[in-house]
Amino acid sequence: MLKINNLKKNFGSKKVLKGINLEVKKGEIVGIIGPSGCGKSTLLRCINLLETPDSGKLMFEGNNLLDGDSNKDIRRRIGMVFQQFNLFDHKTVLENIILSPVLLKIMSREKAIKKAHELLGEIGLEDIANNYPHEISGGQKQRVAIVRTLIMKPDIILFDEPTSALDPEMIGEVTNLMRKIAKEGMTMIIVSHEMNFIKSFCTRVVFMDDGIIKEDASSKEIFLNPKNEDLKSFLSKINAY
Amino acid sequence: MKKILTIIFCVFLLTSCSQSKDELVMSTEAGFAPYEYYSNGEIVGVDVDIARKVAERLNKKLVIKDIAFDSIISEVKTGKSDFGAAGISYTEERAEEVDFTINYSESKQIVIVNKNSTIYNLEDINNKKIAVQLGSVADGYLTENYPSVILVREKKFLAAIQDLKDNKVDAVVMDDLPARELITDNMRILDSELVTDSYGMIVKKGNTELLNVMNEVINELKDSGEIDSYILYHMGINDNDTSKNTIFNRIYKSVIYDGRYKYILEGLKNTLLIAVCAVIIGIFLGTIAAVSRNVYENTNHLKLLNLISKAYVTVIRGTPSTLQLMIIYYVIFKQTNINIVLVGALAFGINSGAYVAEIIRAGISSINKGQWEAGYSLGLNYYQVMKNIIFPQAIKNILPALGNEFITLVKETSIGAYIGIVELTKASDIIASRTYDYFFPLILIAIIYLIITLFLSKLINTMEKRLNNVKNK
Repeated sequence: MLKINNLKKNFGSKKVLKGINLEVKKGEIVGIIGPSGCGKSTLLRCINLLETPDSGKLMFEGNNLLDGDSNKDIRRRIGMVFQQFNLFDHKTVLENIILSPVLLKIMSREKAIKKAHELLGEIGLEDIANNYPHEISGGQKQRVAIVRTLIMKPDIILFDEPTSALDPEMIGEVTNLMRKIAKEGMTMIIVSHEMNFIKSFCTRVVFMDDGIIKEDASSKEIFLNPKNEDLKSFLSKINAY
Repeated sequence: MKKILTIIFCVFLLTSCSQSKDELVMSTEAGFAPYEYYSNGEIVGVDVDIARKVAERLNKKLVIKDIAFDSIISEVKTGKSDFGAAGISYTEERAEEVDFTINYSESKQIVIVNKNSTIYNLEDINNKKIAVQLGSVADGYLTENYPSVILVREKKFLAAIQDLKDNKVDAVVMDDLPARELITDNMRILDSELVTDSYGMIVKKGNTELLNVMNEVINELKDSGEIDSYILYHMGINDNDTSKNTIFNRIYKSVIYDGRYKYILEGLKNTLLIAVCAVIIGIFLGTIAAVSRNVYENTNHLKLLNLISKAYVTVIRGTPSTLQLMIIYYVIFKQTNINIVLVGALAFGINSGAYVAEIIRAGISSINKGQWEAGYSLGLNYYQVMKNIIFPQAIKNILPALGNEFITLVKETSIGAYIGIVELTKASDIIASRTYDYFFPLILIAIIYLIITLFLSKLINTMEKRLNNVKNK
C-alpha cells in the first residue's frame, strides 16, 4: 500500500531524514518510536505532504506522491490525526466533520450530516454535535478529529502523537476508539510515546534514531528482544525494557 | 486581476466626464474679504462680482471652486479651472507660470502691531518676529528685502492675526484692506506702508481669448467706478463687531448667523461620504492585496499581482497621505474635471487599502498553522482552506485593528481641505474666516469628530460581541 524509498528531508542545513526505507501493507498497524528529534513526526508529515521531501520516492497504491499533480486526490485517502487535534475552532463538531466531504462533493450535505451523526453515535458523542471545540474536553476533541478523518473513508490514517496533549484519564477513550477502528481493518501508522499502547496495539514497530530507521520488527521482537544498541539504551531509558 | 483593472477603469470613466463648455470655472480661496468670502453658504466678494460680469459677457455659467491659495496657479495651469481670482498680486515668478489680466485693484502691504508695541516705523521691524500668510506678497517681499526678520508663515492671514493677539509674534504684514477689517482695538497700523502691490486675475498661458474678454470687462468696471463700489459694499457687510463679544454672541455668530451651520452640515456630509466610500474601497483593495500575497506565498500563483501588491503597500505606507491626495488630484486627474469628493474618496480609499492589507495579512498569520494543516490533510486545496477555515477566523482577530484604521480614516479626511473639499475641518475654517474667531468652530467640529469616532468604536464593539456570540452559541 505505502512504499517509501530513500526519503530525505532537510530543514535548512539540518538533515532530519537521512534516507528512510519503509513499506506498509494493508491492515498493518505500524508504530514509530524513537527519541525526541529523531524525525518521526517529520516522516509522518512527509507521507501526508505537509512537508515536501527533498528527495526519494513516496509510492502510495502505485502512485508517486511526489509527482506533483497526481497527488491531489490521493491526499484525501491519507487521513491525519494531530497531537493538538486542530479542530476548526469557528465551526461546531458537526460542521467540522462534514466540511470536507461536502466541499469536495464526496457526499451531499444531508448525507454527510446523517453519516456524521451515525459515526458520532457509535462512540457516544451524539450530544456534542452542535458544540464548539472550546466547549468540549480534550479526549472528545481528539475523537471528533478521528471521526472527521474517518468520514473521508481514508485507506490509511496517520496518528501524530494522538494522546500526548491529553490528560491521563482521557487517553483511554482515544486509544479505545483507535482499537475499534483497527478491528475494522484500517491501516495505521502511529507516532507515540505511549510505549504500553504501542506494545499492545501495534502489529509492527519501527525504531527511528538520528534520521534513519535502526530497527524494524514485530512489536514483540522490538520490546522483548531488541537487537540494535541504540534501541536498547532508548528502551532502558524509558524503563520499557 | 482583469476584473480589478476593469473596475478601476470604469470608476475612472464614470468620474472623468469632461468640463462643460457652458461653464466658466474660477478657482479662489474664500477667506479673503472683501475679495472672496463666504456669506449664507455662497462664495461672494469683489472678485466674484467681477467674475460674474465676465461670465455674463461670455454667456456662460460661473462655477467657483474654493481651494488652497497655493494650489490656484496649478489649477489654472492644468486647465482644471479657466481662471484664478483670489486677490493675486502680480509677481514675475507667477507671471512665468500664468498670464495676468490688468490690475483691477491696488493694495498696500501694511504692518500691524499691538498697541503697546515698540515698533513705530519700518526700520523697527528688523530682527523682529513677523507673521505673514504663506506664499503671499508680504511673505515674498520680506524674505527678499528683510533677511533679519524671523518669518512665521501661516496658512491663513487670520492665523497670523491670531498669533499677534496671542503675542506669539511682534507684527503682522498683510494687505491693507482686509487688515482694516481685522484689527482689534488693541492693535494699530504703522503709518507708512511696506510696499504697494496690485491684484490681477490669472489665466492659463496663451489663453488670450479669455484674457482679452476679462481685460475688457475689468476696464469697463474700473472706468464706471463699479469696482470701487463693490469694495465698499463688501466691506460694509463686515460683521466683526467686537463690542458684542459675549460668549453667547460668539456662538451665535459661529453657528447660526448667516446660516453658518450649513457649512458644518455640508462638511459633515462630505466627511462621512468620503469616509464610507474610502472604507469600502480600502477593504476591497486591502483584501485583494493581502490575499494575493498570501496566495503567492503558499502556492506560487499570482506572481504579478503579488509584486503589484507589495509595491502598492510599500509606496502608500512610505509616503505622506497629503502627498498622495495631491498627486492623485493634480497629477493623475490633471486633465479631468472630476468631482473633488470622489477624488478624496478614491485617494483615502487607496491609502487605507495599504493599511488594511497589512492588517489582514497579520490576521491571516495569526491563525494557528494547525488549522491549515488539518484542512490540507482532509484533501482541501489552498483556496478552500483559505475561504472556509482561515479567513472566517482571521476576520475576528482583525476586527479591532480594522476598527482603529477606520477611526483613523475619518480623522484623516480632514486633509481633504488641501484640494478644496469642504469637509468638517474646512467648514470650520470657512466660518472662522468670517467671524475671525477660531474657538467655537474648532471646538464644535472637534466634538462632531469625537461623536463619530465614539459611535464607530461602539459599532465595532457590538460587532465583536456578535461574532463572539455566534461562536459561543
